Amino acid sequence: MAAGTVIGPGTVIRGNLRGNGGIEILGKIEGDVNVEGDVVLGQSSAVKGRVSGVHVTLAGAVQGDVQGSEAVLVERGARVVGDLIAPRIGIAGGALVRGQVRTEGEAGLPPARIGLQGRIHASVVQPRISHTEARPAAARPPVEAAASAASNPAQSAAEKTQRPAERQAPPPVVPVLGKGARARKKNKTRG
Amino acid sequence: MAGTLIGDGVTVEGEVMAEEEVVVQGTLRGRLSSTDAVSVGGSGVVEADVTGTTLSIAGQVTGDVNASERVDLQAGGRLIGDVRAARLTIADGASFKGNVDMEV
Repeated sequence: MAAGTVIGPGTVIRGNLRGNGGIEILGKIEGDVNVEGDVVLGQSSAVKGRVSGVHVTLAGAVQGDVQGSEAVLVERGARVVGDLIAPRIGIAGGALVRGQVRTEGEAGLPPARIGLQGRIHASVVQPRISHTEARPAAARPPVEAAASAASNPAQSAAEKTQRPAERQAPPPVVPVLGKGARARKKNKTRG
Repeated sequence: MAGTLIGDGVTVEGEVMAEEEVVVQGTLRGRLSSTDAVSVGGSGVVEADVTGTTLSIAGQVTGDVNASERVDLQAGGRLIGDVRAARLTIADGASFKGNVDMEV
């Protein structure tokens, strides 16, 4: 990446970044990154905004959607809160993703993997970063993660349908009065 | 190279704050401040106020320039804006329009 753009670890940008050519981000950006080239977000990087590029590799923190026209690869140690959208998506073990994952678009893929979409729930993802490495749950290979993402909405739909159809109100409590009791009472008070 | 490089073909719109060297070969609009050296390459276009220690301009800068050490306006460079620096050099072939304050 000789002629490409580098945002160094000691740099903060408040605003948008766009253009063409590769870009490597090691610092902080509060704004959108939109380039027609490869994007590398290093371990020290933090981006608050949308990131879009051709081939996006993440190892830092992103709060916003990440879109790759070719691929998005989330590496170990990365933290993403936002949706991942690309024809090819890879999530490494030890990575943290909270958001929707959509493998869409065209990139010469086996057809079975196109169209897998759904929401990865927070249960897959552990919010405590320091413990992620010890958790095997986070260490899903990308295919499995995508598959579980696809099955999750089906599960939640099933749960909805299994909910007790109509909860009925308890029968009203009516004080038992024998026939003529009210009349007797009336007579009693009168007399 | 340690530091920040805004390459040719890349546009940054907003505020850039760096604690390292910044090289601009693309376009920057907004504000640029660094606690280290700043240089604007031949293809660089900066429409922003610039703050740094030493500032070397070979491209175009529109905005006020503030350097704690020096400003070097190189041949082919173009600066429209005020300069506030301890030292200023303007090379033959550079264009400059603005005021200079050399803090004597």
